[in-house]
Amino acid sequence: MKNARRLTAVNDAAAKAGLHPFQTVADALALEPDLITEDADPDADLAALEALGDWCVRFSPAVAVQAPDGLMLDIEGGEGLWGGEQAMLDDLVTRFRGAGIPACAAIADTVGAAWALARFGKGRRVVPSGAQRAWLEPLPIESLRLSENDAETLVTLGVSSVGGLLKLPRAELARRFGPGVRLRLDQALGDAEEALTYRRAPPPFFERLAFFEPISAPDDLLRVATDITAAMSRRLAGALSGARRFELGFHRVDGRVESVGVGTAIAGRDAKRIAKLFAPKLETVDPGFGVEAVTLAASQVERIADAQGRLADGVHENACSFESGGEDGVEALVDRLANRLGEAEVWRPAARETWIPERAVERAAPLAASDKAWPADRPRPVRLFHRPEPIEAIAETPDNPPVSFRWRGRTHRVRKAEGPERLAQEWWRAQDYGPDKVRDYYRVEDAEGRRFWIFRAGLYASDATPRWWLHGLFA
Amino acid sequence: MSTALQTPRAHELKRLRERLAAYDPVLRQTRRLSLGDGRVDGCFLGGGLPLGCWHELVGAETDLESAAVTAGFAARLCGSLLSGGLSRAGQVVWVLRRTDLYAPGLSELGLPSARLMIVRTRSEAESFAALEDALSARGVSAAVGEVERIGLTEGRRLQLACERRGATGFLLRRRLFGSTPNRAVRVEPAIAASRWRLAPAPSEMAIGEPGLGPPRWAARLERARGGRSGGWIMEASFDGAAPFRVVAELADHRVAAPDASHGEREDTPRALQRIA
Repeated sequence: MKNARRLTAVNDAAAKAGLHPFQTVADALALEPDLITEDADPDADLAALEALGDWCVRFSPAVAVQAPDGLMLDIEGGEGLWGGEQAMLDDLVTRFRGAGIPACAAIADTVGAAWALARFGKGRRVVPSGAQRAWLEPLPIESLRLSENDAETLVTLGVSSVGGLLKLPRAELARRFGPGVRLRLDQALGDAEEALTYRRAPPPFFERLAFFEPISAPDDLLRVATDITAAMSRRLAGALSGARRFELGFHRVDGRVESVGVGTAIAGRDAKRIAKLFAPKLETVDPGFGVEAVTLAASQVERIADAQGRLADGVHENACSFESGGEDGVEALVDRLANRLGEAEVWRPAARETWIPERAVERAAPLAASDKAWPADRPRPVRLFHRPEPIEAIAETPDNPPVSFRWRGRTHRVRKAEGPERLAQEWWRAQDYGPDKVRDYYRVEDAEGRRFWIFRAGLYASDATPRWWLHGLFA
Repeated sequence: MSTALQTPRAHELKRLRERLAAYDPVLRQTRRLSLGDGRVDGCFLGGGLPLGCWHELVGAETDLESAAVTAGFAARLCGSLLSGGLSRAGQVVWVLRRTDLYAPGLSELGLPSARLMIVRTRSEAESFAALEDALSARGVSAAVGEVERIGLTEGRRLQLACERRGATGFLLRRRLFGSTPNRAVRVEPAIAASRWRLAPAPSEMAIGEPGLGPPRWAARLERARGGRSGGWIMEASFDGAAPFRVVAELADHRVAAPDASHGEREDTPRALQRIA
């Protein structure tokens, strides 16, 4: 029966007709000739389950996806927000049903007990703390997540319920079945540890606000953004920390999550400042039929000094020596500009150790301290073209600076010149390296005092006319 | 303003001017940057380039598109602003749209990259918004903007931003790459505290030394609020706190010679100087 096609899932109508998963398609068709089958797509199922897991973040940030059909939420300490565990469970199941997803759920002390009760407990069960033993006893042996072989052997032995298994002597159990059965039993009862792989590491700085009535007005969105940032700010202050990245998630009534994020140049927790960064981005949030919860996660958390407020003329701890703290300081300016224009559009030019002019400058973070500098004895232009522009030059001898050259339709007569400064490509960039990649740079001044940075490409060879380029302009 | 004011009428005028100056945020500005020569400083009512307001730098015709000469002049001004005790340790924010600004060249002119922050925008409106934001931020000594034109509203807003923290603005007029070259930059009504028209000037080394000397500008102060205009050949100076050294006074204020008549005259190159 190995290669038979089997059902993996059935809908309500099929279930009523007596079909069930793991049945072969041939048997099913015999029972129900009108059966419509679709090929199973486990990848899509998993993706859908993961999406559902992401949605569950509204209940707890710690969500573990258990393929093929389970989600495990660590709700420790979060039930108060719903007014108790039962209310939370009801809310969760009602929402799933509302979205057309049949779901069973249970809350228990242990992963094993919750797993068992959700699947075999019939109904929404909240197991009181420490009572899982009594609740598990009547359940069938399959509820313990045993391997197929072990379960079958136990059933043949006449042990069909968890209660029956509990009556067996523990030592005997280990001898007959190996450690598997005993471990599963202990995990369900809470005598053994069990680790879950959460879909994302629970961010320690996470805030959530839920509303009685869904909100959608832009003003309201701004207000809740401000409120939740203030809550986060207090939390960060308590930990003497600040964060550099904030993700605001608007959980809509229809289950979608609209999220916006902002980043700051230096870790901070100033609620006003962060809320201000969010404000212009809220326009892009589509509240749909309303937003019923909002979450804020802070990441890249660092420890920062205590008062981040206004330091009159003092020196800020993180920044160099400029006044930077507060709403109107340089840091806030960088954040505003970077969030408005894009993070790549605000930078500090920093020196890079190379002689190639176009590579000698790199973009550093705007407030990053830099200790490297360009060599002072090499004159460099104030404007450097991204691509050197070809010029027609007349030189007395090929390795002299030109007497005159033509650039952008205008002839410049060279009055003074300095050079050459020979720059060769770096040898480790093999494809760029070679005698024709050598540049001889000259600094020339024309009759009117304009200064240019021009170079001749390649070493002088008598058979070829040298090519000249203009690379930059001096002040 | 000059010593020649003897008549009662002139005296009255002077008194009125002083009274008016007390209301003008530019004229009553006490923080001044000396430009290195009494003749230049004297053109500004109160002496020296006033800080806490913005100045306009316009390049000569050929420089309008590349804006190298104006950028060098602005870098020198910012450099001496940062090194002098006039503005406490602060940042220079440079707002531009084309990223051909080359920081090593600026640091040669005294504007170190450690104090420089570059902001690239996509439109004139964004440039002005960024400039306004930068000028009103604490810890920003000066902001340099490369813009095509400055309207009255923008100018007024920039002035208000400057007054908030005493930051100084330098606006370089720069024609956008690819726009028609014969479209002259229209000079709008006076809103800047001063307007400079800058052209390059041939440099000079000490006699007998080869090569290029420090950069020189044929700088014409077209307008200074409450002051008078003037024209000089100025050379970058790195000795003291002053950014420039005045080499000569321009006799006529004709700094930028008409370009068409230039170029093909008897400009046979003198002996080419070169360092081996």
